[in-house]
Amino acid sequence: MNSKRRKYLKYALILLLSVGLILFTQEIKFLKDAHSTPVTWMTVVGLGVLWLFSFIGIIISDLMQRSSVKIIRDFPILGWVSITSLVLCLISDFFVRAIQAVDFLSITTPILTFAGISVANRLVDLRKTSWKVAIVAAFVFTGTYVGSAVLAQLGLYLAEK
Amino acid sequence: MNKNFTYLIIFVLAIITISEMIGFQSIPAGPFTIGLLPLVFAIVITMVLGFKLFRKGFWKKVYSERNINFAGKYLIFIMLPLMARYGADVAPQIRDILQVGWVFLIQELGNLGTVIVGLPIAIMLGLRREAIGATLGIGREGELAYISEKYTLESKEGRGVLSIYIIGTLFGAIFFSIFAPILLDLGFRVEALAMGSGVGSGSMMSAASATLVARMPEMESTILAYASASQLLTSFIGTFTMVFLAAPLQQFMYKKLVKGDK
Repeated sequence: MNSKRRKYLKYALILLLSVGLILFTQEIKFLKDAHSTPVTWMTVVGLGVLWLFSFIGIIISDLMQRSSVKIIRDFPILGWVSITSLVLCLISDFFVRAIQAVDFLSITTPILTFAGISVANRLVDLRKTSWKVAIVAAFVFTGTYVGSAVLAQLGLYLAEK
Repeated sequence: MNKNFTYLIIFVLAIITISEMIGFQSIPAGPFTIGLLPLVFAIVITMVLGFKLFRKGFWKKVYSERNINFAGKYLIFIMLPLMARYGADVAPQIRDILQVGWVFLIQELGNLGTVIVGLPIAIMLGLRREAIGATLGIGREGELAYISEKYTLESKEGRGVLSIYIIGTLFGAIFFSIFAPILLDLGFRVEALAMGSGVGSGSMMSAASATLVARMPEMESTILAYASASQLLTSFIGTFTMVFLAAPLQQFMYKKLVKGDK
């Protein structure tokens, strides 16, 4: 029980670090560009909401580990967080307004900073495979775009008939 | 608290400040414009400073094994607030999305094209486990989080998804801005191409739809409405498509394709 509590405390602090960095980023972004979203008290509330939804998602994900259905056990934490967020945003418009006071791009910069640090020991390998992956990337992008466009074209054709 | 961890936080704050101060940069390249967001600078700077040859003195403290492990292990938790945001984007427009209906849903399945087209090519080029990460999707935050949770980013799968992520971040927008008008010339309807633009990346969606608007200005409002609605849908049900359709399909195709030459 004690170790479980310590684990949740750790997650809570890491989420706090994450939303704290978002706040910092949004403020810096606003200093650089006065047209970007300013930090208001609503932003702080929004960050609190994001923190809360993330934490609820973690708890749901943990509870679901007891499920006997493998797909539910394997469902990623990020999925539970998205579901939590959608459901609660549909229930109350307040959450939507609070979250929208948080600048979207300010959420992405801290994440990418950590992503860059986390791959420090893998950069050499990255260089080794990258030309192949670059070719694959072109086909991956082509695949998703053409795939969607073909189905949309077909759907629109049938819908108008 | 561990002293190196304090250095890590200071370092992260400094990187964010530098990246944001550089800000959004548009670099014209011939008839196209490459847009670079602060997040690109953040990942490039942290990656370059992580080169082994720089890791001396102070940098060795920032890039200590423990700090690198921390970043890798808890990256998905750092990402969770981003996932928590998507609900707020979808909820206000859920009625409109439901009204536009099944065509939007059907075209979401087109995102499986990453596996159907990409995986055979990747296997042919000799990629194996990297291909899992590289072709699951277009390597945006959703796939990044899924792969890092399932395999960790230090695995081969993780390396694959990260490569796609970086390539997509740097070249995705320019790729789509060139590719969308080509498809228009090939006879696709502009509405279909607009819907297809919601690939799950904001910059790629903007690039694809902006270039379509440039070609057909009279269709501007339709193009932007279809593109952003499809983008909203992808940002939410994209996770489900990935987990329940793309991942199983990929495992199935991977086994079939790799069987022959093991």
